[in-house]
Amino acid sequence: MARIITITSGKGGVGKTTTTANLGTALAMQGAKVAVIDADIGLRNLDVVMGLENRIVYDLVDVVEGRARLRQALIKDKRLPELCLMPAAQTRDKDAVSPAQMIDLTNQLRQEFDYVLIDSPAGIEGGFRNAIAGADEVVIVTTPEVSAVRDADRIVGLVEAAEKGPPSLIVNRIKPRLVNRGEMLSVDDVLELLAIQLIGIVPDDETIVTSTNRGEAVVYDQSSLAGRAFLNIARRITGENVPFMAITDQQSMFERLFGMFGRRRS
Amino acid sequence: MSDLISIKGGRDGLRLRLDDAVDWQVLREALSQQLAQKSGFFVGARLMLEIGDRTLSDVQMATLLEIMQQHGVQVESVGATARESRDAARASGLTARPLPRYPEPAVPTAANEHDGMLVTRTLRSGQVLRHHGNITLIGDMNPGAELIAGGSVVVWGRLRGLVHAGALGNAEAVVCALELRPTQLRIAEQITRAPDGAGRNGPETARIEGGQIVVEPWEGSKRG
Repeated sequence: MARIITITSGKGGVGKTTTTANLGTALAMQGAKVAVIDADIGLRNLDVVMGLENRIVYDLVDVVEGRARLRQALIKDKRLPELCLMPAAQTRDKDAVSPAQMIDLTNQLRQEFDYVLIDSPAGIEGGFRNAIAGADEVVIVTTPEVSAVRDADRIVGLVEAAEKGPPSLIVNRIKPRLVNRGEMLSVDDVLELLAIQLIGIVPDDETIVTSTNRGEAVVYDQSSLAGRAFLNIARRITGENVPFMAITDQQSMFERLFGMFGRRRS
Repeated sequence: MSDLISIKGGRDGLRLRLDDAVDWQVLREALSQQLAQKSGFFVGARLMLEIGDRTLSDVQMATLLEIMQQHGVQVESVGATARESRDAARASGLTARPLPRYPEPAVPTAANEHDGMLVTRTLRSGQVLRHHGNITLIGDMNPGAELIAGGSVVVWGRLRGLVHAGALGNAEAVVCALELRPTQLRIAEQITRAPDGAGRNGPETARIEGGQIVVEPWEGSKRG
């Protein structure tokens, strides 16, 4: 039975698209049949992040409006045959699709895939409503910043009002050194406010920038902390019980040690 | 509160009931006056308007809506017994529903400030609870949420958004919470914001004393 999961955040720029691309890739690496849908019509990005931009012929709006069949618009991933992308239209806007059409589309995809991940646009308007219309579950991505968490809280309320059940949470771009120094919200601070199920903590990681620009998922990079974090989240989504990574890096361990000596001397 | 206009809050939202016997001109003025006086309660509200047995023309309906809009109130639907009034409401783009010709026999038990509303959940950013009486919230209230009550507000949890008690003018109203950290706290006409930095821990009560909002830790034994 397929699971339709929408990835959303409220605030823009917190990593929805990167999360969708990497979770989709990670789930496909485990052998699941996965479709990722870019619901950000007019500002499509998911194809770029996955390095599939130059293969787009038809898009989501073409399917909804009957100019293309579902199969024609689904683009196979470069490496993983189990992974497909449904790109957004770039020349239209959010009003090109209705929630009813999204429900219809996801129901068609349900027949052929194990997981359908929907990359939601930022905001709380029509685009967001389209993105959650067909969802069975919702995953909220936030960064440990007060503004992002505030928006995430608003989204939790809207998701609950839409009767999608309680969403789960990914805290993205944690900077261990800042948290250790008490200068950044910790995961606990975020959870204390949002009070929803945590399914992942992703450390801030420069390899994300390089892999995103190359159009490759970071989950292929075994040495990347963020890559490992996304793999862990994918395993949690499939029902595995994976412990959370410790949010410290070696540098900060040293710093804390030196900090301790420093304090003793004074 | 003027007898001509009564406010009632329920789970489905606010109801504003207009007297249906008094002269139209008088009613219009009373409404403007009420909305202006209780603006703290009404701004941003969406409500159901009940005009009872009165027959309103398209023009009169439009005037009514204009008065509401001037005060930041959005009318969601109109309830009326007269078909003409319902047609006028529809002409203004509202949903209209019929009211029973003889409304609840025990009319009109004016909504009173001792009425209460009990809500058990987390009140999140962007969510608003508005009631003419007292509000009790069992759960946390997050920043960006609003609680607006004609009476007092009790939060069995963390209070972290905007709270307005006594929003219809009652300066005796109080606000209490297990953790009182509002972004802004209003009682009747008084407005205050939490001091910067960490506040006290433990339950606290806010009330008006000597024309100012005063916040005190809750000490059960001191109060009878």
